[in-house]
Parts: sequence; C-alpha cells; structure tokens
Amino acid sequence: MAEPAAAAAAPTRRRVWLKPFSDQSVPGQALFVWLSFLLPLVVWAAVSYVPFLWHPLVKIQDPASVSYFRPDTLVERSVFRAENAKLAAAGKPLATGTPANPVFLPAPHEVAQAFHKSFTTPPRRKGEKWLHESLWQSIQVIFWGFTISSLIGVPLGILCGTFQPIAKLTEPFVDFTRYMPAPAFGALAVAVLGIYDPPKIAIIFLGTFFQQVLVIANTTRKLDPALIEAAQTLGARRPQLLFRVIVPGCAFDLYNDMRILLGWAWTYLIVAEYIGASSGITFFINQQAKYRIYDNVFAAIIIIGILGFTTDRFLAWLGVHLFPWKRRRSSAPAT
Amino acid sequence: MTTVALPDYRQQSPEVAARFQRIRERPVILQVRDLEKAYGAGPSRHVVFDHVTLDIHRREFITVIGPSGCGKSTFVRIVAGLDEATSGQILLDNHPVSEPGPDRGMVFQGYTLFPWLTVKRNVMFGLEMRGRARSTAETEARQWIDMVGLAKFENSYPHELSGGMKQRVAIARALANEPRILLMDEPFGALDAQTRWKMQKYLLQIWKKVDVTILFITHDLDEAIFLSDRILVLGTNPGGVREIIENPVPRPRTLEQFLSPEFLALKARLDHLIHGDEPPDEEDKLPLGRMTTAGDDAE
Ligand SMILES: Nc1ncnc2c1ncn2[C@@H]1O[C@H](COP(=O)(O)OP(=O)(O)OP(=O)(O)O)[C@@H](O)[C@H]1O
Ligand SMILES: [Mg+2]
Repeated sequence: MAEPAAAAAAPTRRRVWLKPFSDQSVPGQALFVWLSFLLPLVVWAAVSYVPFLWHPLVKIQDPASVSYFRPDTLVERSVFRAENAKLAAAGKPLATGTPANPVFLPAPHEVAQAFHKSFTTPPRRKGEKWLHESLWQSIQVIFWGFTISSLIGVPLGILCGTFQPIAKLTEPFVDFTRYMPAPAFGALAVAVLGIYDPPKIAIIFLGTFFQQVLVIANTTRKLDPALIEAAQTLGARRPQLLFRVIVPGCAFDLYNDMRILLGWAWTYLIVAEYIGASSGITFFINQQAKYRIYDNVFAAIIIIGILGFTTDRFLAWLGVHLFPWKRRRSSAPAT
Repeated sequence: MTTVALPDYRQQSPEVAARFQRIRERPVILQVRDLEKAYGAGPSRHVVFDHVTLDIHRREFITVIGPSGCGKSTFVRIVAGLDEATSGQILLDNHPVSEPGPDRGMVFQGYTLFPWLTVKRNVMFGLEMRGRARSTAETEARQWIDMVGLAKFENSYPHELSGGMKQRVAIARALANEPRILLMDEPFGALDAQTRWKMQKYLLQIWKKVDVTILFITHDLDEAIFLSDRILVLGTNPGGVREIIENPVPRPRTLEQFLSPEFLALKARLDHLIHGDEPPDEEDKLPLGRMTTAGDDAE
C-alpha cells in the first residue's frame, strides 16, 4: 500500500522505447503490429498510384499515327517520348497516354479485385484448377509431409535428447543427410513414387525430417537436469521420467519448434510442387504468370502468406491455452 | 567475542544430555561408512573428502556445515543416490543405497518444482509415481499442502509463488512420500534473511509434527545451530570430517537463544573450525589505490 503522498512524490518513470530485452509494454504497442503491415502497403500504394514515383512505362490511350502503338498497350517512356518528338517535328497530332507501371506490379486495388475474381471466376482452360482447389491440394501435401515427418521425427528427437547412445547412433547420420538439399532427391522421388502427390510429400518429408530430429533433440537436452533429479528422488523410474517429466517439461519449447518447422515445410512446398506433374499453388502461380495475369499471381502469393500467418497466430493462441503455466507471472505474492 | 568468558561448547545441561541419550537409544536410520569421493585419476586425482563415518538416528536433525567446495552437496547427493561414492557405503535401514528412491526425499537449493504442474499436482507427483490412485493421492496431497500453509495456492503454478512458498511446496512434495530421511541442500540459500528465518521456524514446526529424520546442508552458522541436534563439520585441504558436534543449545529453540552463552560458544567453535585455518584477513586487505576524492568518513 503506497501512501498517496509518497506516490505523488515518486518521480514519474520515463518510458524508454528501445529497451533491450524488455517485455514491458509500451503505450500504443498494438499500433506497431498494424503498422508492420500498413507500412509495406503504403509503399506499394504510393508506387502504384503516385504517377511520378517510378512508372517507367506509358499506357497508350490514343496511338495517333504511330504505326505500332495500340490502345491500352504499354511502351517504354523513352520510346513514347521519341515517337512524340518525331510527330511534333512532322507537325502531326501527338499520341496520348498515362504513366504506368509494368504488368508485374499490379496496384493494390487490382490485386484486391483479383482476390475476389480468382475465387469467383472459373479457370481459363478446362481441367485447370480453381485457386481454392490448387490451395487445397498444396495444403494436403504439406499436411501429409509434415505429419509423417513429425510422427517419426518428434519421438526420435526426444529419444536422442534423452538417451546418449541413441543420439550417438542417430545424429551423425542425420546431420550428414541434412546437408543434402531435399530437392536433390526430386528425380529419385519421382522415379520411385510416380509423378503425383507422393514424391511431393516425400520432398516435404526429407526437407523437414532431418532438421526436425536435430532441433527436437537439442530442445530436449535443454531441460533443467535438476528436474529429472528431483523426479528421481520422488520415486520416478525411467518410463515415468520420460513421459511424466521430460515430455511435459519440453512440451512448450517443442511446440514452438514445430511452429518454426512448419514454416520451413511451406518453403519446401514450392520446390516439391515443381517435381513430377507440377501441381497445387505453384502450378496455379506459374499458369497465371504465363497468361501474364500478375494480379492473380500476387493474390495467390499473398494468400500463402495469409494462410501461413493465420496458422501461426492460431497456433500461438492455442499454445497459450495448452500451456497455462507459461503465462506471464503477474506479481509474486508475499511469502 | 572474547570479552565474555564463554563456556566450553561441549558442556551440556542435564536436560540436553538426557535428550542426546534418548536420541542415541533410537534405532539408526542412516549409516555412512568410510565414505570417500574423489574426482579424476592419477596425479590429477582430487579427493573431495574421505573417511566420512556417521550414524544418524531416527528423528534426528543433523546439519552439515563447511566452507564452499568442501563437498557438502556431493555428500548429500551421494546419500540421495544421485552421485556415486568412490568408496565406502551408505546404508539406509541396513540396506545399501545405490540409486535415488522415494525413501530419501530431497529439497534442492534451486527451485525444482515442476513448472507445468500446479502446487497440488506437484505434491501428488511422488504419490502417483508410486502407484497411488489419483483420488487418494489428491486427499493426501491436500493434507501436506495444508501443513505448509498453502491451501489457498493449491491450484497455482510455481511461477506464481514467491521463493519461500516454492520451497515450502518442495518440502511438502518430498514429505508426501513419507521418506525415511529428508535431505536438504541449502534449501533456504536463495531466500532473503527474513524469509529464511521464517522458513527455519516453519521447518522445526514441521519436523515436530512429522516422523522424519533430516539431513540439512547449510553454510550459515546460525542456521546450523538453530536447527540441529548434531552438526557435522566438513573441511577442505585435506577434505573430510573436522568434527561432529552435539549441539548444547536446548530445545525448543527461540530467537533469544541466539545470544545465549551455549549458542555463542558453539558459534565461536564453528567459526574457528571453518575459518580458523585460513590465513588471516588476506582478502580483506585488497591492494586498491585510492579511487575517490570524497571525504574520509568511509575509513
Ligand atoms: N564433476 C566434477 N569434476 C571435478 N570436480 C568436481 C566435480 N563436481 C564437483 N567437484 C569438486 O567437488 C568439490 C565439492 O563440490 P560441492 O559442490 O559438493 O561443494 P559444496 O560444499 O556443496 O560447495 P558450496 O558450499 O559452494 O555449495 C569442489 O571442490 C569441486 O571442485
Ligand atoms: Mg553445494
């Protein structure tokens, strides 16, 4: 209980913004989260909508008498100027046009429209997949690759972290294999598993598994050995030590490892989908790029980002509920 | 300390002598037989202690004291079965011990509560390990939590407790197994002076209520005297037992006794045993130049 007078006399603590390792919240911190997305968006919008920023091309409105200008096509600004200079010299009416960015940089509103369009308009050619179908296929590949890897990698990693001989037996080979890039196995995977989803799942597996074993083993090793000793003096035997102390003791850190590993699995996805019959979101992106519909390309890339980000946020939120003991302490009560 | 003539620290009042007589008549719970611990081999072999022999009787409170590095933790860890002795034997109820077990509860200096379990589940841990049904374990755990006065916190997680409260839970957790002996390695070492004093009083109250023998490590002379029946003094260079002292301060222990002649005499003796063989004041006279121009009142 601070006395009011004392409280008033206490100097107001100056909030330091950049305080190393501080988890103390700064007023308006929530704003930062929004800003981290808003700032790139503002830059993108500025480059797209402010005519004198970049805009290296001209979109033709009236080609006048320039033979190769067509309405609504893009030409280099220097070419446009040169042609107009020629027309001016000949005393003919000038071509008109507006400054434009290249097709590979669509404006935000175009991407937003494409976002809507890509879910509502059917694919160009019969047999091609809708965006959501492509996405769903990718998600399945990731899911199976990551799940199979985790089903083996997590228990193996925990065993390696716990028992020295198992680590000696496993880790050198795992360490050796992990330096071979997973995509290098692509041709082999196709030869063995065909051209559809199985080789892609295999690539995700290869890309995740070896890292996973090492990461999980290292996290397991970081458990405070005093906890294991305490459990032993309370009568815990080996299986109990494993299942009642080591696993729950590492669970929170393992969970966070898995979040990071899942991110890696996504990066392997793009490579995996090139292998065999190109498929999934990668195929969609390539196809749209071929048709030069770059707003769809952006929409697809952004969807991957949104999907990854929301999954991770969801997992973070779930983590808080799964591990109530990790919530920040409020303040310790007196003894 | 030498202005008042202190009694001999071995001098016991008739009541104290009678109490030690009663203790000696109780069965021996823990026997330490010619224990030796050394690290390394050959010329680099370092003997931490050797020839440690001690009998601990039922419900006796033994404190172990000695300078840092004399092997107090090593000793208690060997008793717990967490370390191995190089030679010698530990017998618990006449059975040699070789591995950790629930018959030797341990409270560590660092906080070793399981952070993912609530206070209640922490105390239930040992009971569940030994196959007790969940519901009986829960009832028993509640009683122990009550005893250390933390009923209100049974559903809190360790990170929500203060240091002193954590150690009380650790004591309850160890006692819930009803161990033959409770091993405590500087359990209050990380606490502030006031909390530490409270915990010492708590511990004596608990010890009075529970049929348990306690082996308590400390490097605090007052703590060692306040708590103990006997004090095992270890030394370094060479490592080993300096003396096993019967504490002449009568029970029940109170704050006033800290200034009693027996207390001061024993403290002087312990101080001599632990610090007597150090070269005097070597570290007190640091070769520092004058680094301040402020007034001389610091001198
Ligand atoms: N793994 C080890 N290898 C070599 N020497 C060791 C090892 N562990 C402990 N020692 C030595 O054993 C001696 C006793 O250590 P111990 O921790 O038991 O001392 P302590 O009396 O508990 O000290 P403190 O009061 O600081 O806790 C020390 O001198 C230390 O150098
Ligand atoms: Mg120690």
